[in-house]
Amino acid sequence: MWLLIGAMALLALLFVPFSQLVLGVRYNYTLRTVALGGTLLGIVSGVLGCFAVLRRESLMGDALSHAALPGVAIAFLVAGRELGVLLIGAGIASWLGVQFIYAVLKTTRIKQDTAMGTVLAAWFAGGIALLAYIQSRSDASQAGLDTFIFGQAAAIRSRDVELIAIVGLAAFVVLALFWKEFKLVTFDAEFAGANGFRVTLLNSLLSTLIVVAIVLGLQVAGVILMVGMLIAPAIAARQWTNKLDQMVILAAVFGAFAGGTGAILSALDRNLPTGPMIIVVAFLLVVFSVGFAPGRGLVWTLLRSRRDRRRFAAQTLLEDLYHYALDHGSPQQPVPNTFLLGVGGGTATLGLRQLQDRDLIQPEGDNWVLTEEGIRAAAEQAHNAQLWDVYRQYNEELDLPLIAEDRQKNIRTLLPDEAVATLERKLESMPNSMSPGAPHRVPQHASGVEI
Amino acid sequence: MYQLEQALIYLLLNFFGREEINLFLRDPQHTATIVGTLIAVSGALLGTFLLLRGMALTSDAISHTVLLGIVVAFMVMTSLLGMDPEMSSPWLIIGAAAAGVATVVLTELIYRSGLVKQDAALGLAFPLLFAVAIILVSRFVDDVHLDEDAVMVGEIGVAWANTNSHCMSNCKTVTITPDDERAEVTRQCINCRSEGLNPRDERAEFAESCSNCGTYTPSQAWRAGLLDQEPDLVFWPKSVTVMLVMMLLTVLFVVLFYKELKLSTFDAALAAALGFRPGLLHYGLMVMVSLVAVGAFDAVGSILVIAFFIIPPAAAYLLTDRLPVMLGLSALIGAAGAFFGYDLARGNFLGLVQIDGGLVWLNRVFNLNLPETWDSSISASMVLMIFFFFLMSWIFSPKYGVISTMLRRNNQRRIFSEQVVLGHIYNHQDAAEEAYEIAVPTLHEHFHWSRVKMQRVLGRLRALQLVQVKSDHVLLTPRGEQRVETFRHTQLAGEAAES
Repeated sequence: MWLLIGAMALLALLFVPFSQLVLGVRYNYTLRTVALGGTLLGIVSGVLGCFAVLRRESLMGDALSHAALPGVAIAFLVAGRELGVLLIGAGIASWLGVQFIYAVLKTTRIKQDTAMGTVLAAWFAGGIALLAYIQSRSDASQAGLDTFIFGQAAAIRSRDVELIAIVGLAAFVVLALFWKEFKLVTFDAEFAGANGFRVTLLNSLLSTLIVVAIVLGLQVAGVILMVGMLIAPAIAARQWTNKLDQMVILAAVFGAFAGGTGAILSALDRNLPTGPMIIVVAFLLVVFSVGFAPGRGLVWTLLRSRRDRRRFAAQTLLEDLYHYALDHGSPQQPVPNTFLLGVGGGTATLGLRQLQDRDLIQPEGDNWVLTEEGIRAAAEQAHNAQLWDVYRQYNEELDLPLIAEDRQKNIRTLLPDEAVATLERKLESMPNSMSPGAPHRVPQHASGVEI
Repeated sequence: MYQLEQALIYLLLNFFGREEINLFLRDPQHTATIVGTLIAVSGALLGTFLLLRGMALTSDAISHTVLLGIVVAFMVMTSLLGMDPEMSSPWLIIGAAAAGVATVVLTELIYRSGLVKQDAALGLAFPLLFAVAIILVSRFVDDVHLDEDAVMVGEIGVAWANTNSHCMSNCKTVTITPDDERAEVTRQCINCRSEGLNPRDERAEFAESCSNCGTYTPSQAWRAGLLDQEPDLVFWPKSVTVMLVMMLLTVLFVVLFYKELKLSTFDAALAAALGFRPGLLHYGLMVMVSLVAVGAFDAVGSILVIAFFIIPPAAAYLLTDRLPVMLGLSALIGAAGAFFGYDLARGNFLGLVQIDGGLVWLNRVFNLNLPETWDSSISASMVLMIFFFFLMSWIFSPKYGVISTMLRRNNQRRIFSEQVVLGHIYNHQDAAEEAYEIAVPTLHEHFHWSRVKMQRVLGRLRALQLVQVKSDHVLLTPRGEQRVETFRHTQLAGEAAES
């Protein structure tokens, strides 16, 4: 985890000279401001986005960013184009949106998605209607008001960056103060309620913080893309860890990386918009995380399932071979290829290749014969299966430790030695039918193949 | 499309005169209302199923990403095929519908990885596709039809102006060739500049070009003054046709697959077990949503179209429990919103309130400097009207409304408190501790109620002649005793049998 954070920070630092030397980005005052602003916003929205994602309210971010628009318009009508006032208006409007959503959810049977969609569309329509009304008036001072819809990072000035830093810091202070409470209502609201925490109040406070993050981000990302900026770093961070504190830190790092590099990349060409570039970078981080995060990542899952499939194929095939040979006389008996393919199909082909690679079988015309080593391995495997059978049937009676049944594994490695010894004794004391010499099939057999 | 319009016009000409039709459609209000109603009806029908399937926000995602489809199709058509498509071109619509389905597929892929929750997957997929679309637009496309603002807002108010002209009779196409006497031919020296020649030089070569040659349709010819007699033209707004087709497709889809949609919406497992292929239907629904979203794109913009999908069904959902009624109601609410929305944009709220008056008042009271005529976006106003209807059904719905729920709760609370008091008196009136258990001044303490509440309850009980007060003690009347006993028999039968 910490290694990853270090790597990301290093990558971000290296990106600056890289963009300068290789991509030919020229740094000037504007770009520095925009990049700094993007980085700060990435941090704020990454951290608060974690809670949105974990509470399964990702799309709340979408609804709230759209819902900010009428607030911007009304604030403009009342006070003119002053960023602080516009943001306060935006905050109030989307905060009202949250309250409306909760009210609808509480008093009707309408589900969350519909309630959010209703607020999103209705508030946005109100905003558009007001903007159209504002634009109908002749003076040109409203210019740039609709940049809130798409975001216009280039318009960020250093005063705005200061504002973002101060408000973001305030949000973090609140978050730190109520960290334990927020954690509790996020993961188990009922438990929190039962323990006397004011769940409604905490929920409301947390959604207010999310509103703050959204409102700050509107300038850069715009109402449509804001949801991506909010949740993408959090989703990426979620892949690497199961701990909330680590996830929050990681999301901040990812958000900062996406915000900063996205802003710099958009300076490559005059026509490249900043907000969308940030979203694309953030999405790439998600793809990377979903693919390569240790343990959870798709690549590892894929490799693991591949390995499992091959091992399963080899084991079943070896078992089929062994039992067929025993049924027809001795373990050295050749087994016809057609039988194996007929029983196992594609899995059999996979298994044959592996067994041959490990020199457990050798071809003999159209047949396959177990080698010495193969017979030993097959007998060992059959013995293992019998031990599992005995374990399954008698583990309570013999008072053995409980383990999850996994027939692909060797039971000796899973149970303590004395327990294995007990199992062996039990197996020997049983009637002949379960001894290795006489093939015996239990219905729950791993291969599921009936011969 | 063109033939369809023609057929429609012929049909209409049976009932109305040509001039009447033209006049009617040339009024922005009529065309806007028609287009809005068509969008609202198609959106409401599909939105009902989306809502019931818990997929309301899928329409949000789809309506955003159709932009990517339009942009990609646009780029392919202009740069690879060298065409000059307009917004209602069927290829753009197909591209956009494909992008809509792609969103759904991408979301499901992300979701199926098992690493990302469903809502997060949706929230991840559509900003990405939208971001890509915006990057493509601002980097590669320079076209007036396709800028970001058109995407967001769209203006239904100008739908009347974008028309196809249909010639009904008296039709003459005019072709002007360079030999024609009406041709405006100019001679120009083609090698003067490059070789630095004087046009009078004998080496100068000239080319003739005709500035007005070509074939004129009857309407173009009339406008250019090439015809003596006016052709009988009908001007038909294009978006009316587009949305009419979308609505017919939607209605057809819902009617044809009504049974399947209903079953797979309420019990997908049963639908699958009966062989109805709910997966296929799911994608069919997504294709329809994309088509309607694209069709409406031009008129109302990509975000407001969500309102037509989500809000009318939400309102109808509060009014009824039956699917056919819900479909009808949501279509009606959407259409009513479209109808009254136009007036709202012009400052007239349902014919009751004039917004201009409110603005004047605001200016006077708060000393603001607001413009005093309200002239706003029509599509947004339609959405606001629909939202108003949602609010109305939320508050006034007979079954699920705020008011009726409140009344019902109050009623239940009242009955409960009366029941409890009656039971209390019944239990104590003959016992020894009677004196303080049923004394009027202290009765409320036994229930942890306020004195006022107790007085209210007792007042009601006395009015119903269920209790009487004798020397400051409350006692049951025979009627009251009978009431309690009936209650014990019917409601507490199980308890009585146990004890």
